[in-house]
Amino acid sequence: MSDIGHISRRDFIKLGTAVGAAAGALSLGSRRLVAMEADLGGEDFSSTTGAKRESVPYTCLACNIEDGGVAFVENGRIVKLEGNMDHPNTRGKLCAKGNSGFLHVYDPDRIMTPLLRTGSRGEGKWKRISYEEATSMLAKKLREVIDRSSAKHDPAILNEIVFKWGRNRTGGAVARFMHALGSNTMLNHTNICESSKKVGLEPSWGPDIESCDWANTKYIINFGSNVLETAYFMNPNAQRLVDGVVGNKAKLVSFDVRMSNTSGYADEAYYPYPGTDAAIALAMAHVIMNEGLYDAEFVRDWTNVSARQLIEHLKPYTPEFAEQESGVPARDIRRIAHEFATTKPATTFSYRGPCKHVYGAYQEAAIHMLNVITGNVEKKGGYCLPRGMGWPQPEPNPPKGKTPSPIATPPLYPLASHHVSTHTPYMVMNGEAKVSVWMSYYDNPVYTYPSSHVWEHFLKDEKLVPFLVSFSPYMSETTELADLIIPDVTYLERHDPESMPSGLYPCLSIRQPVVKPLGGTQEFRQTLIDVIHKVDPDGSLGIKKYFAFNSVEEWMKAHFDNIPGLKEDGGYDFMKKKGVWPIYGKVDKDTAKLVDGNGNEVEPEYGLHKKELPASDMADAEVDENGTISKDGHAIGVRIDNRNHVGFGTPSRRIELYKEGFKKFGFNPLPVYKRLPSRDKQPDELVLTTYKVNVHTQSRTASIKYLAELYHKNPAWINPGSAEKRGIQDGDLIRVTSKLGHIVTRAHVTEGIHPEVIAISTACGHPAYGRLAQLKQKQAAAEWAQGGDSDIDNNVWWDDRGVHPNPIIRLAVDPIGGSQGWYDTVVTVSKAQSGDEYGDVKVSLEESIKDYNETLRYAYNGDLHRQNHQEVDIDWDDLPKPELHAGGH
Amino acid sequence: MMQVQHQTADAQTPVDAGGPAQVESQALAGLYGLLGRCLEEEIDLGLLRLIRTELRAPLAEVGWQLDADFIERPEEELLAALAEEFTGLFVAPGCVSPYASVFETGCMFREPCDQAIAAYREAGWDYRRCMSGEFPDHVGTMLGFLAALADAELEAANRGDHGAAELARKRRNLFLLEQVGPWVPGWCRRAAENTLLAFYRQLLLFVEQFLWQELAAITDRRRLKELIALNRRKPKRLDYDADFRKASGL
Repeated sequence: MSDIGHISRRDFIKLGTAVGAAAGALSLGSRRLVAMEADLGGEDFSSTTGAKRESVPYTCLACNIEDGGVAFVENGRIVKLEGNMDHPNTRGKLCAKGNSGFLHVYDPDRIMTPLLRTGSRGEGKWKRISYEEATSMLAKKLREVIDRSSAKHDPAILNEIVFKWGRNRTGGAVARFMHALGSNTMLNHTNICESSKKVGLEPSWGPDIESCDWANTKYIINFGSNVLETAYFMNPNAQRLVDGVVGNKAKLVSFDVRMSNTSGYADEAYYPYPGTDAAIALAMAHVIMNEGLYDAEFVRDWTNVSARQLIEHLKPYTPEFAEQESGVPARDIRRIAHEFATTKPATTFSYRGPCKHVYGAYQEAAIHMLNVITGNVEKKGGYCLPRGMGWPQPEPNPPKGKTPSPIATPPLYPLASHHVSTHTPYMVMNGEAKVSVWMSYYDNPVYTYPSSHVWEHFLKDEKLVPFLVSFSPYMSETTELADLIIPDVTYLERHDPESMPSGLYPCLSIRQPVVKPLGGTQEFRQTLIDVIHKVDPDGSLGIKKYFAFNSVEEWMKAHFDNIPGLKEDGGYDFMKKKGVWPIYGKVDKDTAKLVDGNGNEVEPEYGLHKKELPASDMADAEVDENGTISKDGHAIGVRIDNRNHVGFGTPSRRIELYKEGFKKFGFNPLPVYKRLPSRDKQPDELVLTTYKVNVHTQSRTASIKYLAELYHKNPAWINPGSAEKRGIQDGDLIRVTSKLGHIVTRAHVTEGIHPEVIAISTACGHPAYGRLAQLKQKQAAAEWAQGGDSDIDNNVWWDDRGVHPNPIIRLAVDPIGGSQGWYDTVVTVSKAQSGDEYGDVKVSLEESIKDYNETLRYAYNGDLHRQNHQEVDIDWDDLPKPELHAGGH
Repeated sequence: MMQVQHQTADAQTPVDAGGPAQVESQALAGLYGLLGRCLEEEIDLGLLRLIRTELRAPLAEVGWQLDADFIERPEEELLAALAEEFTGLFVAPGCVSPYASVFETGCMFREPCDQAIAAYREAGWDYRRCMSGEFPDHVGTMLGFLAALADAELEAANRGDHGAAELARKRRNLFLLEQVGPWVPGWCRRAAENTLLAFYRQLLLFVEQFLWQELAAITDRRRLKELIALNRRKPKRLDYDADFRKASGL
């Protein structure tokens, strides 16, 4: 130490300054340390041990977008999730829900073993049993129905076996199971989601919804979608929307009753009156057609209507009319129509806002038409067809059940090809259908359906639903009512084939266990195999052969090992390794575009309808006077200017703006606007709308702690003017009352909402679904197992779990598409009354049941249908008779 | 469920099986075994009859009076009621989770589970679940492990292998002190508050007392005070792992 004398701190600092100055551009310091998260999709290492983590690709199922993900696993546990950079549509990004997905796996409130009800239904008393016992029990119940059907020679009895799902991403496993059992009673949740959007589109151009080329567009009109936060394909759509608006300087115009984050990000945002999007879209079409701004060639060649026909049809829909209905100024409608028609390329996007109304299918069809008449369909930067890929079902594949199911395809809704599941409890209560075994999968109607209390009443009644099985790994409001719970694993522990049309690059992906099913739990697919093997142990029923898989992996191999192209790349093994196929290229770090090895952008394919039919397809084909090419009785293409194109997925292979199928049942074959009862509400009433938020699904995420911390209460948005009229201030306790009853919640007074609307998000207000969703630790600490003290002293800092609006939302169904009219309920809003407490829900079952009869008046044989469609030129006394049908438009 | 893999000690000359140490080991093996078995899974007919008959008087002598419902109710009915109580208390969502991982981290199958299985393996045992949803850090299994170690100690002492006996005793004390002591007694008290049937309430309070006695016997006052403080903790509700959150980009 004698070599160096005492150095003061001042001297150290001085020296440091000198070193800094001397080093200049030379970077000093460690060259081993790198910033965390510098790259996505690569390797990952433990921050404590330095050990490399195993990476396993998977497909997300936190919501329905099915993003590509990679799980990093250390010591058999998931330690991190991130996006899969090989997925061409999600490009290495996961949303907050996806990032939090691992919490589903380790949630202490997860159901880890089959439970058999021991108390009365819904009492919460259980006995644990093994998967072996549970699958035997279910098989016995199913076999009883099969034997009864057989003894009575009545295949319709098999339809008493009901399978209802909310989210079914099993790649055909459920249909295989139900068809093997001989039942057609499969019910999805699509009618509480976007079924009327689909039915507004599909008869016009083929299956599923639009895939906009946001990144390359110049002009976007958004109708009622919060695409930057939620909506179908949120993650890929949001990325590409940002690419388009920021990278390509596209203009975004948004119509929404609420200032969503998408409207907030728009160049122009408008608040139309709920349910008037069609009036706006038709007025824009009116301007475009009348001022000659349409794409004459596209309308002539690729639609089944003439320009003259459209101009005539659109006559009443002037911008002034639209202003009167929607409140959006006519001058703006006219200007936006001009801009949309003259800015190329352009596209619309729409989601639940327009379609979740009675007559939602018309609204969607009107919006779709804007893209058609401006010739933006299947153009770069335009409004493109969805792009998905299929996979083969293992052979032998069971045929459908012999008899159509009245509750799967209600006779009064012949065009609603995506089921009308909201009607099921009412139909069964009315004796229109019978249930013997009800199976519930990823579904929670007691919470997620309108008049949700009706579902609780229905599922609690053992006479109506004699045996109720849930496959849920979480104790949802519906699962609480089950007789038997056979828990599935979470999506990070199981297998499924996937292909979502979430972008312009069609691809297949795989969901595979990134860790072993926790605690020896069993994946659903194995449960299906076990049940069928017990229903038909010796194969004498002839259904065991459909489930002749020795393992779940063998089943998956049957899907993936025989796909041309993938087979050569390695089939199932390739999917396990990469998670997605094909690999289009790499994501460029600067532009985020997909590029090939030379750095050139890999462009998606456009103009799918213009693909030429190969000569082999044309052999023995016939061409009719309209150019439709048919073979073996099926339309396979369309001839235009002597070229044989594959066309669109319609009978004429053109875009069918005129839908003959609609007219058959007295609906207008062309897109129209129908004024809804909510438009004629009393001045003191408001229209109740709901919305999703960016960190929650409808029902499955409230117990995920990261997400619950981010968003856990849902006050009602109300405009300052509307609030002032009612003497309501921000944060006040308010009573929201519909014809069904009332809820007591809090007001959020904000300019970001239409003055005639009150909006409540659907993310919160669970009476079940685990300790965090319910905040039971705080509310009933003494009764709640984990807490002995209401003084929550560490991390749950919030004390509000929200109030769910669904009990007061009235059943009202679109008679065409079958969608629930979520945004058609009229309410009064007042300050809470004496004795009201936050979270109170008081509703009438009887009033809800009346709504079923009311909404049937809109069905095709109802009195209101005829009254509302006097313009349709058909013989009203000779409408088709209601009959069981396979469903379709 | 515990399953023996191999024995660690060499056979040596047997010693007097009635010595005080062996008596203690034998008693502990029996008691831990009973308590562990009662907590690890539902009571079955054999165990029910054992408790109702041979064990009724011994339990009463130490102050555990089985209530009339437990004694008089028809066997089948009682077993069903006990199974329902067991499921509600220790299995179904919202239960008093019997896992060290849930207590310590708020999640299932975390590091405390690794620590438990490591201790089992070090002593020559492995873990194999009987029902889905079971993990090595179950309170019943942990007590069962203490029984196994007491039994191993006894067996080694009986054959004169003092080294193996001493090793087993050390392992037992260490496991009790480090993996059981910091949370199980307090957990028992909280679980007891949530029981509906007297049997499980008595069982849990009995286990709590017993463990405090055992802990007092093997550690000093200072450590005991620390354990008392640790057992006053409530189970962790949220797993706030800052590093994890950062790594997740949240």
